[in-house]
Amino acid sequence: MHRIRTVHRVITVSIAGILAACGGSEQRDPSTSENARAPETPRDATVYTVNYPLAYFAQRIGGEHITVHFPAPPEIDPAFWQPDGATVGAYQSADLVFLNGAGYAKWLDVVTLSTSRLVDTSTPFRDRFLEVEGTVTHSHGPEGDHSHEGTAFTTWLNPQLAIEHAASIEQALSARWPEHEGSFRDGMTSLEADLLALDSALVAATAAADSRPIAASHPVYQYLANRYDLNLESVQWEPDRAPSGSQWNDFQRLLSEHPATLMLWEGEPLAETSERLESLGVTVVVFDPCANIPAEGDFLSVMRQNVESLAAVLARK
Amino acid sequence: MKGELYLAWRYLAYHRVKTLILTTSITLIIFLPVGLRVLVRQSQEQLTARAEATPLLVGARGSPLELVLNSLYFESDVPATMSFGEVRRIESTGYALPIPVYVRFAARGHPIVGTTLDYFDFRRLRIAEGTNLRMLGDAVLGARVAEELGVGPGESVISSPESVFDIAGTYPLSMRVVGVLEYSGSPDDEAIFVDLKTTWVIEGIVHGHQELSGSGAAGLILTSDTANVVANAAVVQYQEITADNLGSFHFHGDQSTYPITAVIAVPPDQRSESLLRGRFESPDELLQIVPPVDVMDELLETVLTVEAFVIAVVVVVGLSTLATAVLVFMLSLRLRRREIDTMRKIGAARRSIGAVMASEVAAVLVVGVALAAILTGLTSRFGSDIIRSLL
Repeated sequence: MHRIRTVHRVITVSIAGILAACGGSEQRDPSTSENARAPETPRDATVYTVNYPLAYFAQRIGGEHITVHFPAPPEIDPAFWQPDGATVGAYQSADLVFLNGAGYAKWLDVVTLSTSRLVDTSTPFRDRFLEVEGTVTHSHGPEGDHSHEGTAFTTWLNPQLAIEHAASIEQALSARWPEHEGSFRDGMTSLEADLLALDSALVAATAAADSRPIAASHPVYQYLANRYDLNLESVQWEPDRAPSGSQWNDFQRLLSEHPATLMLWEGEPLAETSERLESLGVTVVVFDPCANIPAEGDFLSVMRQNVESLAAVLARK
Repeated sequence: MKGELYLAWRYLAYHRVKTLILTTSITLIIFLPVGLRVLVRQSQEQLTARAEATPLLVGARGSPLELVLNSLYFESDVPATMSFGEVRRIESTGYALPIPVYVRFAARGHPIVGTTLDYFDFRRLRIAEGTNLRMLGDAVLGARVAEELGVGPGESVISSPESVFDIAGTYPLSMRVVGVLEYSGSPDDEAIFVDLKTTWVIEGIVHGHQELSGSGAAGLILTSDTANVVANAAVVQYQEITADNLGSFHFHGDQSTYPITAVIAVPPDQRSESLLRGRFESPDELLQIVPPVDVMDELLETVLTVEAFVIAVVVVVGLSTLATAVLVFMLSLRLRRREIDTMRKIGAARRSIGAVMASEVAAVLVVGVALAAILTGLTSRFGSDIIRSLL
């Protein structure tokens, strides 16, 4: 009896096993399913930028519909900033990252960001980039490739190009959040009006320049000079550092060929530097490129102040 | 009937070697073709799942199979490379999201896959431990790689030189492990993921080195003028990317000419896919665009043809084995004549004797079929895991 039950069990198991074998090969192992969908996780509309002008434009256009982040420390020049891993992680979390282009923010070459979320806002005018003169590159071996480091990147100092930056931002925001397209358009219209007014003010202010030689403390005014036909030559000085003896000698040699009577500075230079410049007949004009968040005001107020300062000096001379 | 079954059982148990051989033969006759069919079907599913999840692949003209195997399964020889500038070309069409991959190097037998963060989103790969790639030189390990190498976040892996004889070739690069992926059941578990730019560092196109300006650099300069400094071979290039030297890493030449092995193109819809494929139809086109599923279907068709032949052979062998088993049984009947006579003499009816013989056969068949069913069930359950580990 016991053995018969055993045989019956064996037969039952066999039938079950055959059925399992037939059915098993039809089942799809869910772990092989490459198309399993995770549930959509709603996120805030978050935007990161690589400099303050783009953050300002994005905020003006995006308004309440987006949160704009620009995490560079205020005392640092964003063009030469190197964010740490945690900050890069924050950039990775953004819905969109607005880039300046023209080689701005070298740190982008050494970090990993999702390329589908990067927006190079200078793409429409890539053919109008300006080269920096006097850059020393390096190569390896007699026939090695050269490194190209000579593109000027303070593109927003030309209000016409700033409008194109803003247009790229508006386009990207509208593509990503089409439900707010109308609002973005309104923001862009308002910003464009302000930038056009700024451009007109600069045209009026620089009309008095009339090919007059102008000096600059740092090679960051290429797009400003190009837009308003300024006869500009640059040195490489910092506002918070006194120029060395050899730098003064080089400057005087420059003045002999380029007799500038005013000099653009990114920030207020040291008093001794200003005094020595005055003694050489050169008036200091602070024209802040506003690459980082200003201590007071915003991008537009800083640029308006720049225009006033420049206009005042050009009108006098 | 109980008595007949008991006698049959006792006979089989006494002649256990013969019973084992017959049972094994029956098991194999059934399991071999069925199990083979199950394995092939599972392999087919595994291979096609990966291919079906990848809409289009763009690569240099050449073997589509090599392109697919290298880009999806990280196997086979490295196909001809294409230039990174083609990524922008695909992106500018607006027809697909381009995801570049560069699969050329390896570290301790595991392929190094240079790509972008979009790859992780596309393959739905999740971080189990640590973080995703952030900086140049970071590496994220597939689940199996971390297990086999016993390496986790905070440690490092070093890329293997391509050839021990090419001392002027690619430098081994020490890569910082920052994360480990969750097990995905795909070839991604066996790979080491790095930023595309990190693979270019391994290749030597991107590098960091000592400053070439300043008094300390005099011995490193071949020639110099006001516009360019030419470095000599004494310049030491960094083989590990740290926070201190990260800023020194730079690119030489035009990035759009840098090499990659393929671009995974992810179109949003069928229309975009068709339009994108149309862009690569020109006879002058130097690239090819392939739907991986078509390439794998072609490969599997060959496999299935071979499978059909193998199964046919197995079936023929099985039938001959069955015939041999029948012959064995018939011969054993002749050898058991005295035993049968004895049963008759002690009062067993012909029907009962027949039932004993039939029960012996049935028991062997039932056990054989049962074992075949169990083996087939095990193959079905674990076969996919085995195949995944082999793919």
